[in-house]
Amino acid sequence: MAGRKVTNTFNRLSPFQRFYLIAVAALIVGPFAPLIIQSLAFRWAWPNLLPSVWWLEQREKSPIPLAWDYVLSPYSRIYEATINTMAIGLAVTVICLAICLPAARVLARERFRGKNSFEFFLSLPLIVPEAAIGIALLMIFINLGLAGSYVGIIIAHLIPTIPYMVRMLTAVYQGLGREFEEQAMILGANRWQILRMVTLPMLMPGVVAGALFTFLVSSNIFLLTFFLGQGKIITLPTLLFSKISGGTLDASAAGITLIVSLPGIILLVISERFIKEEAFGKGFGN
Amino acid sequence: MTQVQLNAVRKEFGSFVALEHIDLDIQSGELVALLGPSGCGKTTTLRMISGLDNPTNGEILFDGNDVSDVPVRDRNVGMVFQRYALFPHMSVEKNITFGLRVRDIPASEVSERLEEILDIVQLTAFRDRFPAQLSGGQMQRVAIARTLITKPSVLMMDEPLANLDTNLRGEMRRFIRELQQRFNITTIFVTHDQVEAMELSDRVAVLFDGRLEQFDTPDGIYHRPDKTSVAKFMGASNIIDGVVGDGGLKTAFADLSIGDGGAFGAGSQVKAMVRSEAIRLLKEPEAGAQNQLSGTIRTADFFGATVSYVVQVGDYELNVDEHSTEMLEPDTPVYLQLPSDRIWLFPDEKG
Ligand SMILES: Nc1ncnc2c1ncn2[C@@H]1O[C@H](COP(=O)(O)OP(=O)(O)OP(=O)(O)O)[C@@H](O)[C@H]1O
Ligand SMILES: [Mg+2]
Repeated sequence: MAGRKVTNTFNRLSPFQRFYLIAVAALIVGPFAPLIIQSLAFRWAWPNLLPSVWWLEQREKSPIPLAWDYVLSPYSRIYEATINTMAIGLAVTVICLAICLPAARVLARERFRGKNSFEFFLSLPLIVPEAAIGIALLMIFINLGLAGSYVGIIIAHLIPTIPYMVRMLTAVYQGLGREFEEQAMILGANRWQILRMVTLPMLMPGVVAGALFTFLVSSNIFLLTFFLGQGKIITLPTLLFSKISGGTLDASAAGITLIVSLPGIILLVISERFIKEEAFGKGFGN
Repeated sequence: MTQVQLNAVRKEFGSFVALEHIDLDIQSGELVALLGPSGCGKTTTLRMISGLDNPTNGEILFDGNDVSDVPVRDRNVGMVFQRYALFPHMSVEKNITFGLRVRDIPASEVSERLEEILDIVQLTAFRDRFPAQLSGGQMQRVAIARTLITKPSVLMMDEPLANLDTNLRGEMRRFIRELQQRFNITTIFVTHDQVEAMELSDRVAVLFDGRLEQFDTPDGIYHRPDKTSVAKFMGASNIIDGVVGDGGLKTAFADLSIGDGGAFGAGSQVKAMVRSEAIRLLKEPEAGAQNQLSGTIRTADFFGATVSYVVQVGDYELNVDEHSTEMLEPDTPVYLQLPSDRIWLFPDEKG
């Protein structure tokens, strides 16, 4: 529906307007093109603009593209990395929500001394270089015996995700005046009913957006996972790094990169759908 | 059907005193208006009766029982918020039945009461819409229906009519009055519109700056205000300084005879109120009339049904409202009669 609208009107745009749209699209989609090509190449050496030999021409030598053959085989450890990434991402998202929902409620509704500086310090983890945080955590976690454990990685992932989540949910809570919950209380609802029937449904768009974002960030964190996983726990980003750390982007690395991007793309599609149709379609946004 | 009583209720927010000392005794089934300027503590009063806030001092009684330990959801009160607070993610039907669904009332009874209330507020056609798809008046009726369906024993409404246009306002006023009488619910509603307060209520509580200034019938508030501040808030524009003499009032511009002057001994300093519509305005003097003064029209403002004149009498200016059947020009000499039974005396207040 939305897609059709765009194609219908694209021709009516001025050349300038079209230029900017194409520029944005090129910068977003562009990096993927060589990856896709690479993953389907048989031989692709510098300085050729396109592979000199495509996999399709060499079909009889390998039944599926070489790169994909490797990527999908157990040697690549891609299944293990995918499952780790998903599990860690899920755990981080749930814990992050559980911490940030009540915190955001307080930040949005209450006034207390030091609130402004608290809000300022919230951004600190985003300013301090990840490497510094990673090293500091590593030293602590080695002492605690958390290095190389799932718990350690999950805690590390909470550090850069909580600031975003708190901010996002605070904004949503600010938009949700307290009179809705008070009205529900007067109408006889208990705390649990209020949360389930009023607060959560009204916060839903923000919660979903925040959760998806947290999951995406977590599944893309490399440095912290690398430091704290100590090679014992691999995720898609650390797996990818081990493949490209030699300095070349070969076909199998390109394949892994594409796989690494898949969860994000799927989530993005879901979130677009959900936020538009489920929430705003039903009479939100007034 | 509950009697509501506030005893010496005080509310502080930090160092700010929102309500100083409120005593209010509301009879069962009575409709009371809380009237006062913005920020005087009307919403705060309602919030404490409903239990959303607790008084800093003093007590609130329902039928003689202190309710300070009764949680909001067990007080069986209803409150229509200033901005309705309809749940945006629920249809009209779901909004209205919310209070029944959370109380585990059987589905058959829920739908029965829903049909009944939809019929009363005339929203049957809109039952599947979402709040964003309703007009202001419709939203308000949903909010009222959602509250009434729970059969509250005390109904509170916070400026229920503030967001509506003039026509709809009149319609909703009649509607609320009718509902209130039909269910005989003790009702407290907040307004800063004195006309609305007088039209709707059995009694009016006038609140200024966290203090209850007067609690009386609309007639009493209008004609027999306790204080000049109440009189001014109720639109009285002629407040005159004077000294009580023998059966009369000495003012800067004339000696006026007053009814009995009763409570005030000769020589006491007073202020007197004459409402602008009580003054008669004549083009020719009437022989033997009481309190007849001659003056000159200064300005004339046309308000549709009435004309508002400022008439200069000596050094003093009086406001006079007349029907607009005939409009007099400024500078016309006129005669004013101030009926002695329409002159109301206040004790002189300091400050
Ligand atoms: N939670 C609060 N914290 C601090 N001050 C408050 C709080 N709630 C209300 N006040 C103050 O108490 C006073 C009374 O507020 P209230 O909301 O009762 O006014 P109101 O009479 O309902 O006014 P309006 O007609 O504008 O709605 C105001 O000065 C307000 O600023
Ligand atoms: Mg208010």
